[in-house]
Amino acid sequence: MSKLTFERPIIQRINAGLPSKYGMPRRLEPLSQIDGVSIESLLQEFGSPLFILSEQTIRKTYREAYRAFSSRYPKVQFSWSYKTNYLNAVCNIFHQEGAWAEVVSGFEFQKALANGVPGELIIFNGPDKSREDLKMAIQHQSLIHIDHFDELYDVIHLSKEMEERPKVAIRVNLDTGIYPLWDRFGFNFENGEAGDALTRIMSSERLDLVGLHTHIGTYMLSTDAYRIAATKLASLAVKLERKYGHLIQYIDMGGGFASKNTLKGAYYPGTDTAPSFDDFAEAITSALMSSDIKPDHLPMLILETGRALIDDAGYLAGTVLATKRLSDGRRATIIDAGVNLLFTSFWYDHDIRPVAPVSDQSEDTTIFGPLCMNIDVIRSNMMFPLLKKGDRFVVRRVGAYNMTQWMQFITFRPTVILLDKEGKPHVIRKKESLETFNSQELTPDHLKDFDL
Amino acid sequence: MLKLKSNVAISESGFVFDAGTGDSFSLNATGLEIVQLIQAGKDFPEILKILSEKYEVDPESFERYYYDFVATLKQMNLFVHHGEE
Ligand SMILES: Cc1ncc(COP(=O)(O)O)c(C=O)c1O
Repeated sequence: MSKLTFERPIIQRINAGLPSKYGMPRRLEPLSQIDGVSIESLLQEFGSPLFILSEQTIRKTYREAYRAFSSRYPKVQFSWSYKTNYLNAVCNIFHQEGAWAEVVSGFEFQKALANGVPGELIIFNGPDKSREDLKMAIQHQSLIHIDHFDELYDVIHLSKEMEERPKVAIRVNLDTGIYPLWDRFGFNFENGEAGDALTRIMSSERLDLVGLHTHIGTYMLSTDAYRIAATKLASLAVKLERKYGHLIQYIDMGGGFASKNTLKGAYYPGTDTAPSFDDFAEAITSALMSSDIKPDHLPMLILETGRALIDDAGYLAGTVLATKRLSDGRRATIIDAGVNLLFTSFWYDHDIRPVAPVSDQSEDTTIFGPLCMNIDVIRSNMMFPLLKKGDRFVVRRVGAYNMTQWMQFITFRPTVILLDKEGKPHVIRKKESLETFNSQELTPDHLKDFDL
Repeated sequence: MLKLKSNVAISESGFVFDAGTGDSFSLNATGLEIVQLIQAGKDFPEILKILSEKYEVDPESFERYYYDFVATLKQMNLFVHHGEE
């Protein structure tokens, strides 16, 4: 007599019909493909874990954002925020779409130049610009966004020394009704500091004041905050015209639009709460158009949107290393990607899914990375199907900040691939190797040998 | 030895009701068979023997699934704790 096929024994709590915090209970659907390409086959070809980026999604998202603003305002320019993801291939997709570069360090500045971005289309932000950095920016006629008075005086000195006329904007911080106030960067609007900085620039007569900039925060869910910020910057532009007859060329609203990721502890998922590009565009452009700026003097509107343009295009796929039970009975699933690769798991409850269909049984699970430390938690508790060693997972919406803030620890940072518009994979950053690290290290002669 | 709590009722279809807490659960067919064997006082070696005669499953996989399953039942508070009742 032939034996029956065996099915793994399972027991499930019945709470069907009782709405969970997201409404009716949801089954975690597996995600087996990206742009029609099998994730399993990519893992087999390029190793695990693996970052995967979708060129199609990047371009689609960019065009959506551009359309939202350009259909409401005469002059719109995006500037790619390098720190969000400065893999050259990613930057160049944005540059091909028409975005300038927004950088915050000498390193990022040089990266943009090396990618072929003309110096005059590089916006240089950030509180940490060395004299050398500033010189480089002045030589390249870049747009220097001044963060504090020390920097303003540095630029004035350099303008004399180099006999150049640097192009500058000031960064303004302002109260948008959002708490906590981001008043660490730039000149404050409400206490008059921003006005003082503008006066100082105009009276120096050595600098070319081209714009006004603000970056009001990140992962902003409030469109009203942008309306307030745009209104305040517009009022500064009006004052400049009244007082000095000076017209600025642009207003730069920075970045900060929320992506569709879910913040830790949020009640509703980010897919439901994040305003659309149209919502942000409406708030900003209507504030500028209804300001006292004369219609034929409306400055160019610059946006330095980061996470909302790239998060959706990035995936992190990998493999289950083990499952176990914690002392309190909860299930633990250990995966081969830790918080060092997925920095954003400190902020987000990431959407993580099995790659292949698995059992219907889900359990309250903690998902740990492979690092030997207890902070290495990718999801602290989520209903997750029972995976076993060797099963694959994929984390969605990881395109922003992870590939720039990742840390190397106990093993190598993995390969990053880009799926082009036809779904063809291209390695855009190689997995590190022992040589990558050893090539940076120097061992003094007296430490070269030992006897054990 | 594993013992189900006396106020836990299990139907022929695998529906489990814990009258102590009001919680209800559902077992798949294999899960139900194992619970019934536990109720009948069988231990792991006996359960392994019975089920591996009936099903196509190697002992190592069965052992893993069995202990994982039992741990889940424990977590759902369906067993008598030592010294209770
Ligand atoms: C000056 C500036 N612009 C743009 C960005 C991009 O922000 P986000 O990714 O929130 O859109 C940042 C990020 O911190 C920033 O500091």
